[in-house]
Amino acid sequence: MFGFVPVFVVGFAVLSVVYVAVSFWSRQVRRRKLRKRWEEEGRPGDRESYVEAGLDEYDDSFRRKLILLVYIVPLAVIVAIIYAVNYM
Amino acid sequence: MRYVKWAFWITFWLLVAAFFHYTLPQHDIARITDTYERRIDFGENSIFWASPDVGSDGTLNNRDVFFIQTVQPDGDVMVYRNEDTGWGWPPYFKFDTSNLQAEAADLRSTSANPTWVAITHYGWRNEFMSIFPNAVSVKRVEGPDATIIPWVSIIVLLFFAALAWGLWVRWKRFRAARIDPLVSDMGDSWDAAGHNLNERRGRFSRWLDSWKQK
Repeated sequence: MFGFVPVFVVGFAVLSVVYVAVSFWSRQVRRRKLRKRWEEEGRPGDRESYVEAGLDEYDDSFRRKLILLVYIVPLAVIVAIIYAVNYM
Repeated sequence: MRYVKWAFWITFWLLVAAFFHYTLPQHDIARITDTYERRIDFGENSIFWASPDVGSDGTLNNRDVFFIQTVQPDGDVMVYRNEDTGWGWPPYFKFDTSNLQAEAADLRSTSANPTWVAITHYGWRNEFMSIFPNAVSVKRVEGPDATIIPWVSIIVLLFFAALAWGLWVRWKRFRAARIDPLVSDMGDSWDAAGHNLNERRGRFSRWLDSWKQK
């Protein structure tokens, strides 16, 4: 009955590493894009404050919450496999 | 050095292919002739057996295992085991072993009046090691020449190909940007490595020679 505990503990640990890595990577991509946009918009004001404001916006965005799919997709796959193998 | 490189990659891809051939689901059209269980004392082939029923004591070295005997359309026989994979590897999450055995027993037929079924399974049959593929599901089909599209294998292999390609491209780029400039004055990096190894071997054998009697 509790055989799933090791799978979920290890899976959670591995996916957390992936989640953190993707988060950092995504933030960095956003930062790069904001710098580019700052340049294209004709350098309005201070660059760093422009980028920070953009990143604050990103922190509350739905786009950022999509990274949670890192956890949701594998879980959904497991549930789908369990259903398909045992109940179909 | 070139041969070592080839041997390495051929071995590597053979192992990958064997892994997928063992683990991915395959479909056999067959006729079930009998279902039974017998006790298995696991020995050196124990890695090719899955886990005991989920929830039962898994520490014992022997247990009863369900088997499904079949005859294929061309007359060859195939014997499948029917075991839980539970939460372990491979990730089939199969818990309904006893139900599957009941379904298989229901679909038994004789050669005079055959009922054809598609048996989804993974694993290998090997007589020399007494290992059996693990049946995952049985489904009734129209006849012995029914076609089944292996969607799961297609999707998994496509994902794997995308992953391997992505890694390869990144490695290529990394090598072009970081490693090739370092060894450019020594020519091709692999040749350089081979040369280096040869030289070292030469030094080693010279050292060995120094211990031999002249």
